[in-house]
Formats: sequence, C-alpha cells, structure tokens
Amino acid sequence: MRILPFRRAAAIGAVALLSFGAAAALGSSPAYAKANSQVTVVHGIPGQAVDVYVNGKKTIPDFQPGKVAGPLSLPAGQYDIALTKPGDAIGSALLKVDNAEVPGDANISLVAHLTADGKPALTPFANDTAKLAAGKARLTVRHAAAAPAVDIRAGGKPVFEGVTNGKEGKADLDAGTVSADVVLAGSDTRVLGPADLDLKEGTATIVYAVGSAEDKTLDIVSQTITGLHSAPGGVPSGDGGQADGNGSLPWYGVGAAGILLALFGLTRLVTGRR
Amino acid sequence: MSSRRGAPRTRPGRALPLTLLSLGLGLAVTAGAVACQSQPADDFGAPAVTTLASSAPPALRVPIQDGKPPQADAGDEPARLRIPALQLDATVDAVGIDAATGDFAVPPSVDQVGWYRYGPGFSARAGSIVIAGHVDSAAEGKGAFFRLGALKAGEPVTLTGADGKERAFEVVARERYRKTAIPLEKYFARDGAVRLTLITCGGPFDTKTGHYRDNVVITATARS
Repeated sequence: MRILPFRRAAAIGAVALLSFGAAAALGSSPAYAKANSQVTVVHGIPGQAVDVYVNGKKTIPDFQPGKVAGPLSLPAGQYDIALTKPGDAIGSALLKVDNAEVPGDANISLVAHLTADGKPALTPFANDTAKLAAGKARLTVRHAAAAPAVDIRAGGKPVFEGVTNGKEGKADLDAGTVSADVVLAGSDTRVLGPADLDLKEGTATIVYAVGSAEDKTLDIVSQTITGLHSAPGGVPSGDGGQADGNGSLPWYGVGAAGILLALFGLTRLVTGRR
Repeated sequence: MSSRRGAPRTRPGRALPLTLLSLGLGLAVTAGAVACQSQPADDFGAPAVTTLASSAPPALRVPIQDGKPPQADAGDEPARLRIPALQLDATVDAVGIDAATGDFAVPPSVDQVGWYRYGPGFSARAGSIVIAGHVDSAAEGKGAFFRLGALKAGEPVTLTGADGKERAFEVVARERYRKTAIPLEKYFARDGAVRLTLITCGGPFDTKTGHYRDNVVITATARS
C-alpha cells in the first residue's frame, strides 16, 4: 500500500467534511454549543489488520478487516488519523490523513477501503440519523470496493442502480428481512450475495461492499445505528363507548331534579306559614 | 295549660311541602354522591414515570463489532398478561404498526391484548415493555382493559413469557391524557429503567367519530 492515492482520498474526504461543516455552520448555532460527533471506523481493506491512531494516540489496536469500531465521541475540530500495521511506529503508517475536519453534532463513518482501481483510501461518509417513522428501518448501501458500477437489488428487484465507488444508495423501508444482492450495473451478473438482511425497526443498517472484484475478495461489512425509532402515531383502543367517563351525566340530572323539588317544598313551607 | 296550645304541631297543610323538601334533599345528596363516585379516580404516580424514563444509560465504551449483516433475533414476546385485581388473564399478541394509519396495531379481538414487538420484550433489562388493549369495541363489547383505569398503586401485574417463565410487576402510576397530548415517546422509550406500560382508551366518547378522547396509561415496575 502506498501513501500517494491516499492523499486524493484524504482531499476528497476533507472537502466532504468541510462542506458538511459549512452546512452545519449555516444552522447558525455557535460552534461551542455543538455536541460531539459520533465517528465510527469501518475496516474494508481485505487481508491487513491495522492499528488506528487518532491525533497520535493508538485508539483501536489490532483492528481486523471486516470489523466496525466505535462510535468514538469526538468534539468538533481537526484530527490526524493514521493506520499502521499492528505494532508499527506511526511514522511508517500505511494510510495517513492530517487535519481531517470533524464538524460538530454529526454522525460519520470513516471507511478504510479500496478505490475503484484498487488503491487503499480512507473515506468519510455522513450518516443519516434522522428519526424513522414507527415500523420503518433505513437501509444504506455504500460502494467501497475495487469494482465497477453496480446495482443493488432487494428481492431480485434493483433498488439502487449504477452505484460507483464512494457513492451510496439509501431508502427507508418497512422493518423486516430483505434478501439483497449486488450485480454489475445493468446486468444479472451477481458479484455479491444474496444475503438476508434483517432490517430492525428504528435502526439504520449501512452495508459496505468492500474488497476487490479482481482479487475475488468482494465481501460486505455492515454497520448498524440504533435509536432512530419513533413512537406510534397513537393507540386507538376502543370504539364502543361503554367506558365513557361521563357515565355520571344522568346522575347530575337526578341531582338537579332533587334540588328543584327541595326548593319547591321549601317555598311551599314558607308561603304556607302566612 | 295554655302553654300546650302553643306547642308546635304539624299542620296538615305543611306535610306535603316537608315531604317534598326532604325527598328533594335526599335525591340531590344521593345523586351527588353517585356522580362523584362514578368519576374516574385521581391520577397518581406521574413523577415516578418521569424518573423511570430518564434513568441514565450505561457509559459508552468504544466497542468493536463484527461487520456481519444483521440477523433476526430470537423472539422475546410475552405470552400472557395477568392482573388479579381485574380478574384478567389475557393472551398477548405480538403486534406492530397499522400501515394505513401509523398507529399501534391493537389486536381487533377485544379479549386479546397487543405487545409492541418493536420495543423492549419479555426479558428486557431496559426500557418500556408496552402492551395495549381495547377498553371496549362496538362489535364485541367490553374489552380486556375495560377496568384498567381502576388499578391502584401496588397492585400486582404478571407477565408470562413464551417459555412459561413469569415476571412480576407492580403498579406505580395511573395517568390519563388527551390523545392529542399524550407523550407517547416516553411510553415507547427503549431506554431508562425497565417497566411495563399498559395503555387503553378512556374519557368521554365521541359518538360521531367513534373514538374516546383520552388514553389511560398504567406504569408498573419490576417487583423486587
């Protein structure tokens, strides 16, 4: 692995993060008021375990391919991130990105993967953590493999078409199991799957296609973000009317009649005295 | 002797008004008492519900997960709900969302109650296990939760799992909300202390729409 391609990936990443940060800044709340960002690290480069350094500190030791680490809770700011062979000094990093901008109050996946032409890269993706309607689940599929454009199919039907390296397809679906596979764009040539994905209600499932088509190491890595659920719209649980809390209404009538009767009697008493 | 003449005597002309007076007073008092008694009892336990909902989550670590695709969990549905105070022993169905309305899909059969299968299940260690049931229905009459609003603090509620295991809870709160104002997020929370939340309808019934105005919510905590 060389460092050169990584520069480009880092540049793309920085631009993505910067624009992301700018968008967040337009939200006009002052920077110091921003919450930490949640950063998840995804390892999608086959065959090479790494140590992950954040600002020179070994944060995730012996991080294996196909694993997902985090989330790390990081305050907004700039970070130096480096990946080394396990035990190697940070000076001989396999991959390194300096001054990566992490905006406040965001959810980011930092993905170590191969580019379309097979070079290692570290790409940030912003995760959609908007609340889901009750009963729904979010599916995001990201192309992070050394492979051409692909279609992602669910139940045999293409749901995301022509997805290229570094891009994603995303949809909110009914919670439940979908059988997904990946084919070369516009074809029926399957490159991955089919795999059963249990999309849990109120969660976002992010599936990364990783590895290399040429080296036959294509695989999927998946990440789950929980806690995006909403309560149902309501709890309709009766349409008979028998439990109406105003069952006492007739008794008010009886009470009123009683009072009238008593008043009448009182009047007669008083007037009868004369 | 003459003093006897002045003694109070009921004149025939005063008997009817007196009877009317006492009858009227009696009616008014009885009606007042009955009306008061048939009013729903006061709510209780709202602060307890808030405390349960806001219990601190465990501290965050930096975990490493295997990036395997998510697999279906083993089911964790409760099978039966028993409330001795209401002589209730009902079958629990696992239900979700009514796709047409986005509402809780309460089982249509009034003698069954529905467990919200997307939320915490029978063996949950955190969050609100939600079971909703009909107070009544136009088609089937009184429902399993017809008298839910009469539950008192400390009364036991037992949940039975699919494997026959039991979990004991006791009532800590009874609350009533207009459906337009009920904080459902709190009752469908998946974090905070583990608790059992029972929901049904109540309050005035609107014959035009065929709906009750309110929801009645019972919160029960695990019995130690």
